[in-house]
Amino acid sequence: MIESIPMVLAYQTALDPGFKWFPALTVILMMVIFLGVGWFFRVAEVDDLWVAGRSIGPLENGMAIGANWMSAASYLGVAALIATLGYYGLAYVVGWTAGYFILLIFMASQFRRFGKYTAPDFIGDRFYSSKARGLAAATTLIIAFVYAIGQGSGMGLMAQYILGISYEAGVILFMGVTIGYVALSGMLGATKNMTVQYVILILAFMVGLYAVGWTQGWSTFFPYLEIGPQMAELIDEVDRHFAEPFANGSFYLWCALAVSLILGTCGLPHVLVRFYTVDNERTARWSTVWGLLFICLLYWGTAAYAVFGGLLYTNPVQDTDTAVTLGEAATFMSMPGADADALVALTAQLADLPDWLVGIVASGAVAAALATTAGLFISASSAAAHDIYTNLYKADATQREQLNVGRGTILAIGIVVTIVALNPPALIGELVAMSFAIAACVFFPVFFLGLWWENATREGALAGMITGMVISVGAILNTTLPRYIDALDGHALWPGLAQVLPPTSSALIGVPLVFAVIIVVSRFTDDPPQEVKRIVRQCHSPQPEVRAEPTEES
Amino acid sequence: MADEDVDYLEREVNIFRPSTPFMRDNLRMMFILFGLWILFVFGPVIASYFAPEAMTETRVLGGFPLNFFLTAMVAPGAALVLAGVYARYRDHLDRVYGVSHDSPEDQR
Repeated sequence: MIESIPMVLAYQTALDPGFKWFPALTVILMMVIFLGVGWFFRVAEVDDLWVAGRSIGPLENGMAIGANWMSAASYLGVAALIATLGYYGLAYVVGWTAGYFILLIFMASQFRRFGKYTAPDFIGDRFYSSKARGLAAATTLIIAFVYAIGQGSGMGLMAQYILGISYEAGVILFMGVTIGYVALSGMLGATKNMTVQYVILILAFMVGLYAVGWTQGWSTFFPYLEIGPQMAELIDEVDRHFAEPFANGSFYLWCALAVSLILGTCGLPHVLVRFYTVDNERTARWSTVWGLLFICLLYWGTAAYAVFGGLLYTNPVQDTDTAVTLGEAATFMSMPGADADALVALTAQLADLPDWLVGIVASGAVAAALATTAGLFISASSAAAHDIYTNLYKADATQREQLNVGRGTILAIGIVVTIVALNPPALIGELVAMSFAIAACVFFPVFFLGLWWENATREGALAGMITGMVISVGAILNTTLPRYIDALDGHALWPGLAQVLPPTSSALIGVPLVFAVIIVVSRFTDDPPQEVKRIVRQCHSPQPEVRAEPTEES
Repeated sequence: MADEDVDYLEREVNIFRPSTPFMRDNLRMMFILFGLWILFVFGPVIASYFAPEAMTETRVLGGFPLNFFLTAMVAPGAALVLAGVYARYRDHLDRVYGVSHDSPEDQR
């Protein structure tokens, strides 16, 4: 991103500017549907705001998992990363799909069994410590913040095409709508909405892919598997680095990134909360499988978009100048960041598809960003209201007070995200990957050991979470801070560290270290109380749950 | 109903020392599938590291380099299939151990 700033002066973006009626109406209609569904299933009780009354089936919850999961980073970011980084970009595809298997086998049922509302709730109860719970809540807020920056960035790029307004105005407008929407509807609306959002986003993504394939004569029924000849053309005639395994990132970096994203999947609070919205463990398991299928449907297509986009960026059908045709970039792989992040919509536009069709593809990206941001903001608001305000500050807070704190948090975090997204420090996919690295280093070890080793103690968990926070946030600051304060020509504070611990991939080293810290500290501190051990054993028992206490009354 | 007399609340939970037959059955399947998952997810990149020529020069399905195809298409698909296999196996285990998914109140 930083390197592309001088270029921005000469060359803005290949996206067609100007207000377009049909795409604008599509986005407005989409927002009306979301708000309508949200209003129809609006929040009445504080319990409903967070867990939707546990009345959702596996297929519906699977779609919600898909919509919640697939943000602008999946919809726009992954194709961008494959197009610009080639084989290295595929670490994002693997990392953001395969992790659901680990989540399923090691954690889904046990988490559902534990029966707590949120990640901080789980950590607070499992590690019998309100400090640990507060720390988990703070981490949830940080993750939501970093994750949402990328979403704001994606919304701004799509607004440029749809509404013809500036990137900055687009970020502000769409983030405003998101904040209003989440604060009004809450999760009961959101779960129903996420099903609708999934359908909209997957259809929009597919329509673009199929239409480009048909009009260019590249594919007919199954573009995922039909793009072989186009891929060969792209590699043999345009840029052979596209498939070269380690042209853009070493073997170590590839593995570190994939592992970070996989373990991050298992540590993200807004992903885990989807297991509490179902009746039982079996539904939790099958909705994970369905969710992964729905996620794969999009991820298999990202490579096809990168290939189509790469060819069209080199030889546009439409009479548009791209960085390649203008000679600003050597090949599509060095296109500027703003074009890369808009590549999914740009591919449809460069294939000379009609405005309304490109508009649908762009609206899908907005739906993806909106659905995920909603999920993130709900996690953040519940962390602030439930786990920080009520837990640490005012134990007798009324429902109304909690709702107000939750809504205030959404507003505050929304404003800060908007400000940072106006000048994003990295590509969409990279920003989101950073929040995965935090989730992997801070949450995954305490979740995993919390469920699978009854002797993990409070002190171990606290020490581990602090270690994970230092490693993951340190790695991020090491590279992004100099860019913000404009020092060191934008190079990392400690370049050697950035090679070993990249901001998006700190978990390959971070997670084993945190595991070691938790295990060693737990060995030297007193065992957890007997009640806590019994709760952990309950999670691994095939017998019906015996609830010692009903889920927290607030 | 196997092993009705196991008191699950008195058995230690440690992933490397399964203390109940239920955990043993479950963990055995988990580790088998986990091994297959590693093979499918990290196999292609490891193969690309040791045999870059063979992995990129071999073309499948009309032009996909083998490394690209295995990583972008097969790895996510394998994770999906393995997830389905595990979910089915757990349903089977639930039947063997008589797990009911009704709420506890309906049980009694």
